[in-house]
Amino acid sequence: MTEAADERRRSPFSAFIGTEMEELREGYARLSLVLEPRHTNPHGVMHGGVVTTMMDSALGAALGALRGEEARRRPHATIEMNASFLGSARPGDRIAVEGRVLRLGRTVAFGEAEARRGDGALVAVARFAFAVGGRDG
Amino acid sequence: MTEEPSQSPFVALIGGKMEEWREGYVRLSIRLEPHHTNPHGVMHGGVITTLMDEVLGGVIASVRGMEAMHAAPHATVEMNASFLSAARPGDELVVEGRVLRLGKTVALGEAEARRRPGGRPSGRGKDDLIAKGRFTFVIQQRQ
Repeated sequence: MTEAADERRRSPFSAFIGTEMEELREGYARLSLVLEPRHTNPHGVMHGGVVTTMMDSALGAALGALRGEEARRRPHATIEMNASFLGSARPGDRIAVEGRVLRLGRTVAFGEAEARRGDGALVAVARFAFAVGGRDG
Repeated sequence: MTEEPSQSPFVALIGGKMEEWREGYVRLSIRLEPHHTNPHGVMHGGVITTLMDEVLGGVIASVRGMEAMHAAPHATVEMNASFLSAARPGDELVVEGRVLRLGKTVALGEAEARRRPGGRPSGRGKDDLIAKGRFTFVIQQRQ
């Protein structure tokens, strides 16, 4: 995986919120983020949108690494996702998100993601479906 | 009518703006910029899931009332979303939320994100519906 390809896997939005890419290989990606006050909801805990963003990014990158050049010519797009929020996190916590491709078909791909706190506790889990190539829009 | 809840720092960070807040209905908007995109140049799904969560947490608060919320906060436990159409920098999106059901321990809300009419032409005359989501909240009982 070249550095140029790594850069292509990065989401401007992920970078904007402060996510770092830790590991990337075909079908797998791990991202991390250290929570700050700007990542919270009015109750002072991590906003759910932080992990949903990271899980979507982890899977998009894992899928991109697996598809290779094909991903550049015919980009995949998230079409469905579901997530469960199992625990909370606060500023100072380091969140690690792993994404794994479950299946890559000709027109659809599936993946799952997990978000954990620094102490190993599961914060969220999710499953995603992607349209692969040939989608309009 | 109870007062409007404060906005999440995370929603302020990404650029979401409250447009309307009343009992049973909340609407937020966002103008998409390049920093909202994924590697393919279209809006990152996380922008929408963040705003849906915000809108639905807010609409449930609008019906429960601030006192009930402070006594027993609600928290998102489950969500699902369908992404129907791509959005791009320059688009302005509105995200609306409604309560489907409010019980003593569980609440359910539904959100829709649309491209605001009058912005970038949709080209092939497609519907301006960008995404739909449904969220489940648990109302945490204080002992």
